[in-house]
Amino acid sequence: MVRALAFGLALLALFPVAASAHGPTRQKVTETVEINAPPEKVWEVIGNFQDMSWHPAVAKVEGEGGNAVDATRVLTLGSGGTIAEKLLKYDPDKKSYKYEITDVDVRVLPVNNYSSTLSVKGEGGTSVVEWRGAFYRGFMNNDPPPELSDEAARTAVTGVYRAGLDALKAKIEAGG
Amino acid sequence: MGAHIERLWWALGLAALALSGALAAGRPAVTEAFVTNQSADTLSIVELASLKVVQTIEIGGKPAGIAMSHDGKLAFVTAPEGKELIVVDAAARRVARRIKVGRGPLGVAAHPTNGQVYVADWYAHKIFVVDSKTGTIGAQVEVGKSPSGVAVTPDGRLVLSADRDSNEVSFIDAATNRRVGGTMVGERPFGITIDAEGKRAYTANVGSNDVSVLDIASGKVVATVPVGRRPYAVALAGGRAFVTNQYASSVSVIDLASLKVVATVDVAEYPEGIAADPDGAYVYVACWFDNMLQRIDVAKMAVTGAADVGDGPRAFGLFLR
Repeated sequence: MVRALAFGLALLALFPVAASAHGPTRQKVTETVEINAPPEKVWEVIGNFQDMSWHPAVAKVEGEGGNAVDATRVLTLGSGGTIAEKLLKYDPDKKSYKYEITDVDVRVLPVNNYSSTLSVKGEGGTSVVEWRGAFYRGFMNNDPPPELSDEAARTAVTGVYRAGLDALKAKIEAGG
Repeated sequence: MGAHIERLWWALGLAALALSGALAAGRPAVTEAFVTNQSADTLSIVELASLKVVQTIEIGGKPAGIAMSHDGKLAFVTAPEGKELIVVDAAARRVARRIKVGRGPLGVAAHPTNGQVYVADWYAHKIFVVDSKTGTIGAQVEVGKSPSGVAVTPDGRLVLSADRDSNEVSFIDAATNRRVGGTMVGERPFGITIDAEGKRAYTANVGSNDVSVLDIASGKVVATVPVGRRPYAVALAGGRAFVTNQYASSVSVIDLASLKVVATVDVAEYPEGIAADPDGAYVYVACWFDNMLQRIDVAKMAVTGAADVGDGPRAFGLFLR
């Protein structure tokens, strides 16, 4: 904890604009999964902003405001890190919600200004779940170190989406 | 005498016809959109009549900002990662010149008459004044922190920059290239647009989710209008302002007389650059996530067409010609 704080302070001292500036190149990631289940059933599992139990990396969710716009949640990961998020849009008719990360350590997820949409579409017994994210890399100035590069950010977000979507498919198709 | 009068009437009739035509058409019609695709490192040229890409030009350096010369012959593209201003021959559809500029060039605007191009540098906190004919950098004007959008008044007297991390608009005298004043606006102003009369400027404030309306002569904010989440840029058409809201995936429509939002148009995901047809019939919006240039019909207040462009369109600036 002390080390994390020291690391953070050192970063801030080196790059005082990092907290507020907004690097020039935003990244995006879209991942999808097809699930053999009706979209209504999939939405029952993923459509509650306060429940991320379907994602294997998330150990705990604590939040306020339910599914109302501006609702908040804090995800505690199995690895111990936390991600604070806020609901931006919630559309049960389109089976879609959009949220942003309000606070995360770049060592937990190497991104800044992250927003994301989770949605499910489909008909009959087949659904496609889509998870899209827009974000900047962890390092907000020119010439990032490799662990805070554009590629590192895309790899990390892709990993989060893939793990969640694949687990969701397995869970629902197993009858969970 | 009779023939003379007849000729006079004929001439008057022609003049009236020409006048009504000019009024109906407003300024010259535009036919193409130049869309910077940041993720793809390209520029898409979209024919507006068919909404088809007619040419894709390799740019490199993660292109974002765009401006057109007053005569429409040149397009000016900024590449923040390449740290370049790229001059494109618009008719020949090829890169004419590449100019190294600063540390993070973003917003760009062209002067109506003197051939100067103003480039806002995100990291250097300056406006670089580039001569488009020689490709040389003249003045470097110190402004606030992280200038993003830049615009020139139609009379060419003033250059305004939206200094994002100072929450301020800088006023630069174009004759002397000196900063002559500043006005505090909303939080994190990004795009800045000046009206055709040169009376007012509008900033989209990413941090406070509103638009600041500035009276240019007095340098005062006359209104602050709440819009959707993460507003990015503003276009003006038909007595209204159209504001892209990145997080809301919508365009807020502000009536310029009452300075109230009168409609919200849903668009594709992550709308960014927005520009109006000079006759005010259509507004075009680059939707960054969905790789699309959408057309909004100003009278209908609805999306009536779209062109598929390259990956990550930003089109930050005046991108029509």
